[in-house]
Amino acid sequence: MPLRSLGDLERSVMEQLWAAPDTGPDGGAHEGLTVREVHGALSEDRDLAYTTVMTVMDRLARKELVTQEKDGRAYRYRARASRAAMTAELMRETLADFDAHDRRTALTAFVEDASAEDVAALRRALDQLDPA
Amino acid sequence: MATPLLLGALAVLLAGPVPALLARLPRTRTTPRAAMVLWQAVALAAVLAALGAGLSLVTSTAWRRAPDLAPYAIATAALLVTVLVLGRLLVSGHLVGTDLRALRRRHRDQVDLLAREDERVTGAAAVRVLEHDLPLAYCVPGRKVERVVLSVGALDRLSPDEVTAVLAHERAHLQARHDLVLEAFGVLHHAFPRWVSSAAALAEVRLLVEILADRAAARDGRRRALGSALVTLAEGRVAGPDYALAAAGSDPSLLVRVRLIGDRGPHRLQAALLLTLAGAVLVVPTAFVVLPWLTGLN
Repeated sequence: MPLRSLGDLERSVMEQLWAAPDTGPDGGAHEGLTVREVHGALSEDRDLAYTTVMTVMDRLARKELVTQEKDGRAYRYRARASRAAMTAELMRETLADFDAHDRRTALTAFVEDASAEDVAALRRALDQLDPA
Repeated sequence: MATPLLLGALAVLLAGPVPALLARLPRTRTTPRAAMVLWQAVALAAVLAALGAGLSLVTSTAWRRAPDLAPYAIATAALLVTVLVLGRLLVSGHLVGTDLRALRRRHRDQVDLLAREDERVTGAAAVRVLEHDLPLAYCVPGRKVERVVLSVGALDRLSPDEVTAVLAHERAHLQARHDLVLEAFGVLHHAFPRWVSSAAALAEVRLLVEILADRAAARDGRRRALGSALVTLAEGRVAGPDYALAAAGSDPSLLVRVRLIGDRGPHRLQAALLLTLAGAVLVVPTAFVVLPWLTGLN
């Protein structure tokens, strides 16, 4: 059994949460999955301790990637948003970081920004490059 | 009394006019490595001269058995200013450093979580693909968090050769730890945003860092691929489907980079000149001003 990295486990848990239906059995909003439910789903093809899954889900909640709500004695977890929404959010943050321009930026972009005028001039300059 | 004046004048020159002038010499970009060394030498010498000016004023007025009131007051003021300058640098260093590292860690966590498998980059270590149409390529720098991130939009628009060139460019940033140099100049700008040329220095160093990464990626006959990748990704930012998401501002450094991709150099004379200047900026004040002052204290 290959040893799964913590990152792989977090991703697997998120995939379970993303796959959860939007509506619950009574037609209202889905309440979220418990650790037991996620552990059950994940243990189908691997050997996984319940406490491991609990730790991972708690970490995801602390990183604010999932929401955590108490339901009786157990916690119910929901992904903060769909995968597509979270990706779009991350892209927006990334672009905002690039926009900081002369201030310090956390990320290093290959192309930070461009305008239509830039592209025209760039194409002309590229044509003047000799090959290889 | 000459030492504080000399060091003070040196600090003022190296913090203001010299960097401003250097930033207006685009030829220096044809020897990016030597230019980087010179910029770092000027920044270091400016800080050392500023601190040295304050300290030498303290020693020249108060380093006697029983100083009078006026010299004592000057010495105290000088010491206070020196401590403030050093304190500001240390505080900025701490704030900027922790801020950047926290942002990068958070970004890496989200990227790892949201990344998709993509056969166009399988096997490439620490590369993540985000499922979004906006063409982006960037890296998350830092020893423990380093990642190269490409969007599906970028992979869709680039040929395999262009992807290789982009990955090589980003990896060059990570391997050379360009983030550390940028952080240092960012700290200087954060600590002293006005009255000195810290903004010009930061902008120029950022461009030099991109040119250096372009150089590393353009080896092995990949010049054309690198250039066309640059233009393709710039184009994608302007004409992409998520136009509202993309800021689409102007970036004059792109044109500089494309032109320099074709520059084969090696411009040995210029490189030697810039490196000599870098050495001189550090060694000459140390030998002719600082050492006599320090030995004169005994």
